[in-house]
Amino acid sequence: MSFSDDAAEALDIFITEARELLEALEEGLLSLESDPSDTETVNAVFRSAHTLKGSAGLFGLNHLVSFTHVVETLLGHVREGEVRATPELISALLPCADHIAQVVAGVADGRLSASAAEEAAGAALLDRLAPFLPGAFHAAAAPVLPEAVVDARGWRLQLRFGPDCLRNGMDPMSFLRYLGTLGTVDRVHVDDSALPEGADMDPETSYLAFEVDLLTDAPKPEVESVFEFVRDESDIRITPLAASSYVDYIEAMPQRDRIGDVLLESGAVTPSEIDQALRIQRERSLTVPIGQVLIEEGLADPAVVEAALTRQRKVADSRSADTQTIRIDASRLDRLIDLVGELVIAQASTTMAGDGLEAQSEVTRLIDEVRHSALSLRMVPIGMTLRRFERVVRDVCVDLGKEVQLTITGGDAEMDKALVERISDPLLHLVRNSLDHGIEPPAERVRCGKPAQGSLRLNAYHDAGNIVIEVADDGRGLDRDKILAKAVDRGLISGSASLSDAEIYDLIFEPGFSTADAVSNLSGRGVGMDVVRRNVAALRGSIEVESVRGHGAVIRIRLPLTLAIIDGFLVGVGPSSFIVPLDRVTECVELPPGPRGRDCMNLRGEVLPFIRLRQLFGIPGESARRQNVVVVEQSGQRTGLVVDALLGEFQTVIKPLGPLFSNLKCVSGSTILGNGDVALILDVGPLVSEHTDHERARQAPIPVG
Amino acid sequence: MGKTILVVDDSASVRQVVSIALKGAGYDVLVGTDGKDALAKLDGRRVHLIISDVNMPNMDGIQFVTEAKKLAAYKFTPIIMLTTESQEDKKRQAQAAGAKAWVTKPFQPEQMLAAVSKLIAP
Repeated sequence: MSFSDDAAEALDIFITEARELLEALEEGLLSLESDPSDTETVNAVFRSAHTLKGSAGLFGLNHLVSFTHVVETLLGHVREGEVRATPELISALLPCADHIAQVVAGVADGRLSASAAEEAAGAALLDRLAPFLPGAFHAAAAPVLPEAVVDARGWRLQLRFGPDCLRNGMDPMSFLRYLGTLGTVDRVHVDDSALPEGADMDPETSYLAFEVDLLTDAPKPEVESVFEFVRDESDIRITPLAASSYVDYIEAMPQRDRIGDVLLESGAVTPSEIDQALRIQRERSLTVPIGQVLIEEGLADPAVVEAALTRQRKVADSRSADTQTIRIDASRLDRLIDLVGELVIAQASTTMAGDGLEAQSEVTRLIDEVRHSALSLRMVPIGMTLRRFERVVRDVCVDLGKEVQLTITGGDAEMDKALVERISDPLLHLVRNSLDHGIEPPAERVRCGKPAQGSLRLNAYHDAGNIVIEVADDGRGLDRDKILAKAVDRGLISGSASLSDAEIYDLIFEPGFSTADAVSNLSGRGVGMDVVRRNVAALRGSIEVESVRGHGAVIRIRLPLTLAIIDGFLVGVGPSSFIVPLDRVTECVELPPGPRGRDCMNLRGEVLPFIRLRQLFGIPGESARRQNVVVVEQSGQRTGLVVDALLGEFQTVIKPLGPLFSNLKCVSGSTILGNGDVALILDVGPLVSEHTDHERARQAPIPVG
Repeated sequence: MGKTILVVDDSASVRQVVSIALKGAGYDVLVGTDGKDALAKLDGRRVHLIISDVNMPNMDGIQFVTEAKKLAAYKFTPIIMLTTESQEDKKRQAQAAGAKAWVTKPFQPEQMLAAVSKLIAP
């Protein structure tokens, strides 16, 4: 191909790719020097060389291909464990990487073939590699098909295409047309004898056979290769038109077959035996595996072939497994997300400027998209984390003498990588808890009429911009009375309090609560459910329990998809602004005029306690004449926040507070508004519970003693 | 109007070179970066030929071919897989999935064009 502008651009991409691959190659070689047995690095190093060779071939950079081919072959032997990655080998390979880098630099400067100096340097390096290569190896012997000399006028082709070839997208006419590019199609005879009558004919099936005389100098393999895509299903015979001396070129063209290679390298068969088998295979049908031919012809031992097949499969498996993931430098992603954060702020300032609505909405839409795509870079499926619990469950079950079947569903639900890492510990605690307290020992289960094997289910799914992770077991369930008694005992609630089931279950998350009579070394690791809830809350999530006595419990963690940006609701109190996370807000109402006494109001017949943010944060000045109440909901309990102004939804980029403020309750972070002002993000959970405690203390008689 | 070919590969340089070669030969080219992306790009569009790599993130070539063949619009669309010498078994899998043609990496653009013109006219 000629190197036009487009191609030059493609070449640029190749050069960038090549440099990255070379970096990986060098890095890998260096780390192999310290740990020669690290198979993953060996694989990575081999793949770098392999990919480099592949791309270079695409650009016709034959000097690069042939040199890299030798390096790749040698690394292939290292990968197969036939050559050891000794320090001597590494020292011989490193200059090769340098040489490839130099050649690539040459290509970048526009030299598309080797200079004499490069060639000499390359040959010298390859000579140094030669002692490491097992067996006779011809330097620079990239696989090249043997040149065949032919002495025939042309070929007669008898072609019966497979009945399915049309269905496979293979058009016989297209092949015949292509045949014309090899020479002159002298005669075509169409054999329609297989064509059924009218109604019996299936238009998707191919019935025709052809006999073609092709006048050409092209050797038989080349003619045959025209039909390589249909050869398996079709009957194709190619005979010379002139019955002159004609060689079977197939013999001269050894098929590169991995099985054959493996068998050859192991010394189980000789090259001539392989060729013989290939010939037989070709005469019969290509669908017969070469291994089978070798066995049937008595050329190889079945056990050896089986071993070779297994190894081939293993190699292929490992290769496909480690190409599934993309590694991205986390700090780069963080930077990108920071930048997007700045963008969102810039966009906010145009919103505040007021004019040019259309332009603004476009900017808003664009930024929204950028935000989504940038965040998606950091999204990882949660399955990996969940699957790690398989081991935990097995080990814990052995310890406790329980039988538990772990089922994981929804592992492909994605969430922010930072969240995945931080949710793993709380989840571990919940899993251990279920195994320890929830699921009964087999004997007890059988007594209760349940299967001896308990079931633990981890389920993840997306729900309204959140990710929900459930830990469900079919064990005892929570004991309402026991929890109640314990809570009274611990002074968490008063004995006379009447609580709903949900409220009672919620008590297990209170600090200092533990229902296990004997603290086992499993769940009782000094962390209670309160720590789990605190961890989840720190990720701006919530946790809830659902339980049916005797049938099991479900603990549900609800988390935002990401930590970086939230949808907020902007409110104003005097000169200050605050953000309330939008998912906490249920409605906004006007504060009814009335006496300033008790901080509660009537919301459609229900008592709604409220918090005056002006008082809470000690903001000076008189409250506005008309005040509003933002109703927020926390664990099923509604509370109002009294503010002066409702400023609407606001995409909030969270800026963490400095370490000085780390003990600050009620405020989870800050953000910068379009006009440069700072707004605090309210942490609704602590805000509400703090206030409720305060209220309770004010209302309840202070216990004596 | 030329015929349209969908090129699916996760390597930017392969996509670029194959696109240039195909465009030079008079075809229209669509590109996809992996199986998932390619399925999205198809979207019922008229495509005369698909060229796909085997090893790709998100959705590999075999899975992509299997999915594409399920769609009525691409039931009969010829598919060329980009395989490597050491991936005979992958090639077989691809053929079983309905991708009967292949080009072995590393390849020259000319080899790719030859394979394409065996299957469709420009």
